[in-house]
Amino acid sequence: MTTPAARINRLRIAFLMLAGVVGIVVVALAFLMLGPPVVSPHELIAIARGGGSSFNRIVVIQLWLPRLVLGLLAGAMLGLSGTLLQDTMRNPIAGPELLGVTSGATFVVAVITLLHLPVDLTLVPWLALAGGVAAGTLVVLSVGRISDPIRLVLTGAALAALLNAGIFVLISYGNTNDIALLFLFLVGSLANRTWNYVTMVLPWAIVGIPAALLCGRALNLLQLGDDVAGGLGLPVGRVRLLTLTIGAALVAAVVAIAGPISFIALLAPHLARRLLRTSDSRQVLPLSALLGALLLTAADLLARRAFAPLDLPVGVFTTVIGGPILLLLLRRQLGARAAAT
Amino acid sequence: MSVTRASPAAPVSPPSAPRLEVSPAARRFPVLLVGGLIIVAVLVVLHVGVGPVYLSPRQVVLALIGHPEIPYQHTIVVELRLPRALIALAAGAMLALAGAILQSIMRNPLAEPEMTGSVAGAILVTVLWVGFGESGVVPAVWYMPLVALAGGVAAGLVVYVLTWRGQSQPGRLILTGLLVSAILRSGASIVLLVHQAAIGSVMLWLIGSLNGRVWSDWGILWPWALPTLLLGLASARWANVLQLGDETAASLGLRVEWARAALLFLAVALAAGAVAIVGGIAFLGLVAPHLARRVTGADARRVFPLSMVIGAGILVGADIVAQVALPGIQLPVGAVVAVLGAPFFLYLLRRRLR
Repeated sequence: MTTPAARINRLRIAFLMLAGVVGIVVVALAFLMLGPPVVSPHELIAIARGGGSSFNRIVVIQLWLPRLVLGLLAGAMLGLSGTLLQDTMRNPIAGPELLGVTSGATFVVAVITLLHLPVDLTLVPWLALAGGVAAGTLVVLSVGRISDPIRLVLTGAALAALLNAGIFVLISYGNTNDIALLFLFLVGSLANRTWNYVTMVLPWAIVGIPAALLCGRALNLLQLGDDVAGGLGLPVGRVRLLTLTIGAALVAAVVAIAGPISFIALLAPHLARRLLRTSDSRQVLPLSALLGALLLTAADLLARRAFAPLDLPVGVFTTVIGGPILLLLLRRQLGARAAAT
Repeated sequence: MSVTRASPAAPVSPPSAPRLEVSPAARRFPVLLVGGLIIVAVLVVLHVGVGPVYLSPRQVVLALIGHPEIPYQHTIVVELRLPRALIALAAGAMLALAGAILQSIMRNPLAEPEMTGSVAGAILVTVLWVGFGESGVVPAVWYMPLVALAGGVAAGLVVYVLTWRGQSQPGRLILTGLLVSAILRSGASIVLLVHQAAIGSVMLWLIGSLNGRVWSDWGILWPWALPTLLLGLASARWANVLQLGDETAASLGLRVEWARAALLFLAVALAAGAVAIVGGIAFLGLVAPHLARRVTGADARRVFPLSMVIGAGILVGADIVAQVALPGIQLPVGAVVAVLGAPFFLYLLRRRLR
């Protein structure tokens, strides 16, 4: 039995998901065609069938396609991670970049890069994960009350500043070349990523994305508060540990291949909730994955073409565009919170 | 005397106690100030002594008063190392005073130049200026502080307007400031990436560095530092009244909005001058006024000068650490300050925001 309201609601969800998928397809096609070199739709089809001019085929398949796949995966992972963290902590601004998870993972990768540590490339995501989890745990433990947005952000900011200072200490060791390289890494970039990077992140995505999508019910219960969730039979502590670990793992994998890309994880869940007009995690999770992928790919396209021939890191664009949107979204929410207390 | 406080986290205690009764804090103040100055002087001598060629404090003092043991020591001390120490002193004092002013007028214990967006704004505009110039380094010209000031004021205003609703809430201001800072720093990154030649030289400046500062840098800094520092000290009386809360201040005959705007401008001017020369050193403007208030109470007439002394001491001390911590490598002093300042900030957070 479905009420008309529920049916309309379901229609809206289906429509939003469809719109998300269509948006992604449009951006993806634009991503592949806008080059350089600019490829016509006709030629793109030919390339897909194994034809086309050999130069264009190599550029599209070896340069733009892996970067597109990586952007889609990373965006979806960031969007999911943001939803997991926000819902678990009941905190509207719990994002990996504000929780210290990104800083911790970044710090580890920076150490490996700058000191030229002989670490196997496939191990880097694991080490980044360890760094991210350690930093995130430190922040959560020292905050105590994790649902207070302001305390959380400030503590995260302090830890990020500390780790950032550590990175700068290391930079002083490096030569100019390393510094320029690290600068590109520190702002988060998808440029020059080949299929190797895709194979590196793929296992994490295959395990992490479905795992995150399955968390919807648990997140809904956690949103009710610890007491209610516990009363309904949820082992709160264990479930929270699980969701936070999945969230951190998703971010760590992204940081390991692309560096810290800010504000996608914060923004996607907010936009999803705003569009869905609900905070039901079962609906928010898939839509924020779609939105994350859409936002990151669109931003990467912009980063690649806006200052052509320069290929700028996508991280600066997500911050410059995502930051103001987040400020607007938060203004209302924090205002309401301040009035309530 | 009961004081209605606008914010639960406002700096405590009624400021500007009547002059007749001398509180213990007031009696201690001259001792603290003189003691602080002596410590700073000692630190400066040590600071001048460290470097590729180590000089003992005695050799430094002899060289400073013009009777060096060996003639080349005079060259090392006066021509090479003294400007760096002087810049550290002035910049430390400026950032600390800016923080003290911001904390008192916003009645917000966590306010500091970096977290009100003004440092990031100053950085963005400076980088823009550098990016569109030719050389790819921050040019040593007299108007750089003005350039930085324009950016600092603009960004500070944005944050102020975004958060101001009758009163400034500690957390909201800082949160907005952090986000705005992140956005502006990303803007600076874009400029740097478009002008890649500048990255190597500007990167250390982004976190704050005293490496390679010479007399021409000092020549730019001091005409800016002197008037702003003096004005800042002179403004302590206004700051005291503003600390009482808007209504009380207005009933005492102060034009609150004007006074606050003027002090805000002054704080940004102080920070921008320092940023133009040494870059975005965070946490100094937070830590120094807190230490000052801890030892001398909330009276701005005592907090402001003592903050300056403490800030100058911290920056000179941190710069010594930056030079000797890792053999053969000069760290950016901003990194050293952050390593010391961030834990302090966390400690304050735990205490202030229950």
